[in-house]
Amino acid sequence: MTNSSLEKTIDKILDQTEHDILSNLDGAVSDSHQILDNSVTKLEDEYDKIVADGRKEADKLEKQIIGGSDIEARNKQLLALEDAVSRVFTKALDQISNSDRNGDYANLIKSLLDESTKVLGTSEVIVFTNSKDRDVVQSALSNFAGSELSSETIDCIGGVKIQSKDGAMKFDNTIDAKIDRLKPLIRKEIASKFGVKE
Amino acid sequence: MTTEGGVQYSKIAEIKGPLVVVDDVDNAAFDELVEVETNEGERRLGKVLEVGNGKAIVQVFEGTTGLSISGTNAKFVGKVMEMPVSKEVLGRVFDGLGRPKDGLPDPIADKFIDINGEPMNPEQREYPKDFIQTGVSVIDGLITLVRGQKLPIFSGSGMSHNLLAAQIARQASVVGTNDDFAVVFAAIGVQYSEAEYFRKSLEESGALKRSVLFLNTADDPAIERIITPRVALTVAEYLAFELGMHVLVILTDMTNYAEALREISAAREEVPGRKGYPGYLYTDLSTLYERAGKLNGRKGSVTQVPILSMPSDDITHPIPDLTGYITEGQVVVGRDLFRQGVYPPINILMSLSRLMKDGIGEGSTREDHAEVANQVYDAYSRAQEVRALAGIVGKAGLTEIDLKYMDVGDVFEKEFLSQATDENRTIDETLAILWKIVSKLPKNEITKIKDKYVDQYYQGE
Repeated sequence: MTNSSLEKTIDKILDQTEHDILSNLDGAVSDSHQILDNSVTKLEDEYDKIVADGRKEADKLEKQIIGGSDIEARNKQLLALEDAVSRVFTKALDQISNSDRNGDYANLIKSLLDESTKVLGTSEVIVFTNSKDRDVVQSALSNFAGSELSSETIDCIGGVKIQSKDGAMKFDNTIDAKIDRLKPLIRKEIASKFGVKE
Repeated sequence: MTTEGGVQYSKIAEIKGPLVVVDDVDNAAFDELVEVETNEGERRLGKVLEVGNGKAIVQVFEGTTGLSISGTNAKFVGKVMEMPVSKEVLGRVFDGLGRPKDGLPDPIADKFIDINGEPMNPEQREYPKDFIQTGVSVIDGLITLVRGQKLPIFSGSGMSHNLLAAQIARQASVVGTNDDFAVVFAAIGVQYSEAEYFRKSLEESGALKRSVLFLNTADDPAIERIITPRVALTVAEYLAFELGMHVLVILTDMTNYAEALREISAAREEVPGRKGYPGYLYTDLSTLYERAGKLNGRKGSVTQVPILSMPSDDITHPIPDLTGYITEGQVVVGRDLFRQGVYPPINILMSLSRLMKDGIGEGSTREDHAEVANQVYDAYSRAQEVRALAGIVGKAGLTEIDLKYMDVGDVFEKEFLSQATDENRTIDETLAILWKIVSKLPKNEITKIKDKYVDQYYQGE
């Protein structure tokens, strides 16, 4: 084989190789474009998903933080209100306790006794009261035949507690018990004075 | 609310289980509230169960332990049991009798409402047809809950119904409206750890703000459990019909309620019915379940999800059996799925929401919802048959289409049914997964969906 034919063969191989390489490169470029194009869609989907998940998580955190602080603020307000209501109650009870046992008070005792004997269905009762009210109660008892005032005194702001003579039935009509029963309604009234709406 | 006091009687004739028989009682009324005072001055609440012949039978909610015939007094308060209600109850935690359990004072009441409620006038009822999104795919997609519906969850002991209950409570919402939404959660006879989980779960997710919790734990007196669902429903009715909110009431576990009812019935020496439960169990349950609904001309709604654990997973047990007669469908928690570690392990083939058809579709969820749900039901049912067949002939004996159905079953359980306990899926996400499952099937197998929806949503080859 002459030198020139060897060179020709080498050139041919080189051309062929160059062509193969170039065509491979073209293929690779077009494949990579294709992959890139597909990745963009995938990437966009992933991006959207991450953003959506992030938003969800942020919403969740926002709800947690706002919900928690709302509850905390509300609870503090409730405690402050309750404290104020208690102070109003204490002051009111003090005032009632130290009030004069005048004519109106005698009428109140009379109506409490009347209500109590009606509830028990008999005036054959023993009446209990505190040391302060003994005189008022004693004088009111003349209207209730069969009733008697106990020598024992009870600890209360005012009013009476009555008991059937056999001890089977009792009725608490002290001012303390009345206030206790009315407390939920009074609390609402006091709270509204502090500007708390339902 | 009455401001009159009651008469206190001191002649206790008998103490029997949770009951106290009081002698020489003149004016007691049925269901009247009673304050029982012990020797030590401790006060317990009760109610009158029977009156007559000068006697009153009082059921003591906090139990009769430590009470003696001498020295115990019973004060008949002159009113039935009432729950103080106002918007302020939202965000609060109460015990099983409606007393604050969160260290805060009693709520300042707007009203005092009889806890026994009144059944809704059927003529006033409005048919439920609005969707509630729970964020749990299997419920929203296949067993859809509708505002005003009563949809029980039938579970078994040890299964994850309480996780599911807490997840629903955290995530539930009404979509497409700005109406207020609230959750009333009543835990009846649950373990202390579960009660704490419910409280913390709502607190940490920020959902406590729109929730009211009533917690009766397993160590609380069983008789209190009779009251817990009633106080919860009373609050729910107030929030719904007075304040116009959409209220979801979750009652867990109603089996403990029925057990308490059985305890009282046995103490009263009533003739027992099935499994010792009283003959009036059906009537009693209906007085609770029928408090769900919507009323004509009122904005709010009460939706109930009572949860009950079936003893020995027996769906024919009187409690699920009688519950099923009253409610509008059921969600059944499956033991097999639970054992496989699937959460929530809901067996859709045994579950059904009877009102689903009215709460889904165009304007509520999406126009293709009903059809894609039917197709998935059908495909999953077929997948179960194929799995059974594969158990006998082996996978090699299955046809190509059988294998596709098996694949559908796997995707259904792994991607649709399985969900993290803190994963809140929108209805669109749920429907997208349903379409993903349907797209595993060749088009010629899709027989329950209109072509236009297949063209729009099908993602298969």
